[in-house]
Amino acid sequence: MYENNNYNISSEIITKINKWLQKFPDGKKKPAIIYSLHLIQKENKYIKPEHVEAIAEYLSLNKMDVHEVASFYSMFETEKIGKHTISVCTNVSCMLNGSDEILNHLEKKLKIKVGESTDMFFLKDERECLAACGGAPMMQVDHKYYENLNKEKIDKIIEDIEND
Amino acid sequence: MTDNLRLNELCYSTLSSNNPNTYDTYIKLGGYETWKNILLNKLSKQEIIDTVIDSGLRGRGGAGFSTGRKWSFINQDSTDTKYLVCNADESEPGTCKDRDILRYNPHALIEGMLIASYAIGAETAYCYLRGEFIDDVYTSFKNALKDAYDNKLVGKNILKSDINIDIHDLIGAGAYIVGEETAMLESIEGKKGFPRYKPPFPALKGLFGCPTIINNVETLASVPKILDNGSNWFKSVGTEASPGFKCFSVSGHVNKPGNYEIPLGTSFETLLDLAGGMKNGKNLKAVIPGGSSVPVLPGDIMMKTNMDYESIANAGSLLGSGAVIVMDETTNMVEVIHRIARFYYSESCGQCTPCREGTGWMYKVIDKIIKGHGTLDDIKTLESIPKMISGSTICALGDAAAMPVESFINHYRHEFLSYIKKENKVENSNAKSNLYNNKEFVLHKK
Repeated sequence: MYENNNYNISSEIITKINKWLQKFPDGKKKPAIIYSLHLIQKENKYIKPEHVEAIAEYLSLNKMDVHEVASFYSMFETEKIGKHTISVCTNVSCMLNGSDEILNHLEKKLKIKVGESTDMFFLKDERECLAACGGAPMMQVDHKYYENLNKEKIDKIIEDIEND
Repeated sequence: MTDNLRLNELCYSTLSSNNPNTYDTYIKLGGYETWKNILLNKLSKQEIIDTVIDSGLRGRGGAGFSTGRKWSFINQDSTDTKYLVCNADESEPGTCKDRDILRYNPHALIEGMLIASYAIGAETAYCYLRGEFIDDVYTSFKNALKDAYDNKLVGKNILKSDINIDIHDLIGAGAYIVGEETAMLESIEGKKGFPRYKPPFPALKGLFGCPTIINNVETLASVPKILDNGSNWFKSVGTEASPGFKCFSVSGHVNKPGNYEIPLGTSFETLLDLAGGMKNGKNLKAVIPGGSSVPVLPGDIMMKTNMDYESIANAGSLLGSGAVIVMDETTNMVEVIHRIARFYYSESCGQCTPCREGTGWMYKVIDKIIKGHGTLDDIKTLESIPKMISGSTICALGDAAAMPVESFINHYRHEFLSYIKKENKVENSNAKSNLYNNKEFVLHKK
């Protein structure tokens, strides 16, 4: 266990970070920032300032080095969100196949607007194409792909997660 | 029309098998023979590079530069550490071809990475996958890599030779700009994805300051068979300037959207036929032939155009990544460009002023028009902004944002005018959603 005043990075995560560092030339620590943030976000759902501090301290980096990565990449959440993240692709190919109706349906069903969260679901404001254009309209739930969506399929997916 | 078409023979060649992504399937289809042959017969680096140059293989990520020539930029006499990077940050809107290579033929990519590393003298190679692939796509690649290591095809003293090549999987975290090769190097180094000034080009000074070659997934996955069958085999397919096969991601208003690997130079009409033709029997209106960064072309022009680099350039657009977005007669073109402009505004990294400000400006003007507040002057403004962005930025994202806007106004000016004359407004559109809400969205998400 690596101890920080506010947050302790678990020994499992430390082991994984150390293994990851072996992919890079000796002494290079920054290349492990993205991966460390992924691991910590997976455990905590979103990145808090104490997480940034703990990673910086463990990798002997400046806090700002970690913060600028956490704030640059769209997969890192820095505000409290629900248990599951839903990203509906609304880029061109999905839009042509009715992604906006899919998003509207989810907004109504979850009673939140895009970009908002309940305790259970975070409806991410996804602006990137998620590279599944042949299966449009599509979405990811916690980065698992769901393609060729319609309202019935959405209802089933949400129901299954809620009952899980 | 599609009966005699050669389909899925290269990067998608495993698709005809039951378990396309396994090591056994790849071996059964003759996989890793090229790599073993190189090690056994100690093929020279130059021989490999010359074959790839002669084959005419061009970068499949979008730029279309000669792959062999790119490799030849590495100074073989230099004692510097050299790196190979595979760009698996597939995120050009409309493109989904690399995801299927990573899922269904990951060993072809690994073998291609080994050959490329050997040819440029790299002992370390990285495959950088976009963050959103973190679930099944990343797992598929990681499993394949483990199998290749277990069979001693990757690592130290490969197959008891004196060749050492390590391949490492890396994962991003969501940023379109990281697909730009120097932004990817920054991201691998653990920084935000800001493209670098060039020169120096990565072949001279790339990852960790060392000579580096960056190639796309499809490019690398094409290499083993080219070397196995010879450059003449590759050149016997396609056109003289655009030889070989290319994966096209066909999406939009077609009956059978998906990936199709066909000879370059095949007519668009044939590709459309292959993708099941137009959905609901509608007429073709327009096509974006190479990902959302390239100019849109009217359907009648596309129906007379072949799918190769030169034919599409002559028709006024670019082959790009091979993402073919098909739009039928009901498509509202202002809505389409509104969505495209929103994407580039959102994904501009903000490093260069013309792109940071220009992408936002274009989006806001289109947004104003689509909401029914546009004037004729707004169209003039919209025509002038791309000229201020193009050529004034470090990387090509600025041009990628500018080109579609220019082409949409050029071909579909009357649709913009109908909004200005209040004949059309967003309330009438079939894409009502909160995405049109007036909330200001900041340059970067936070």
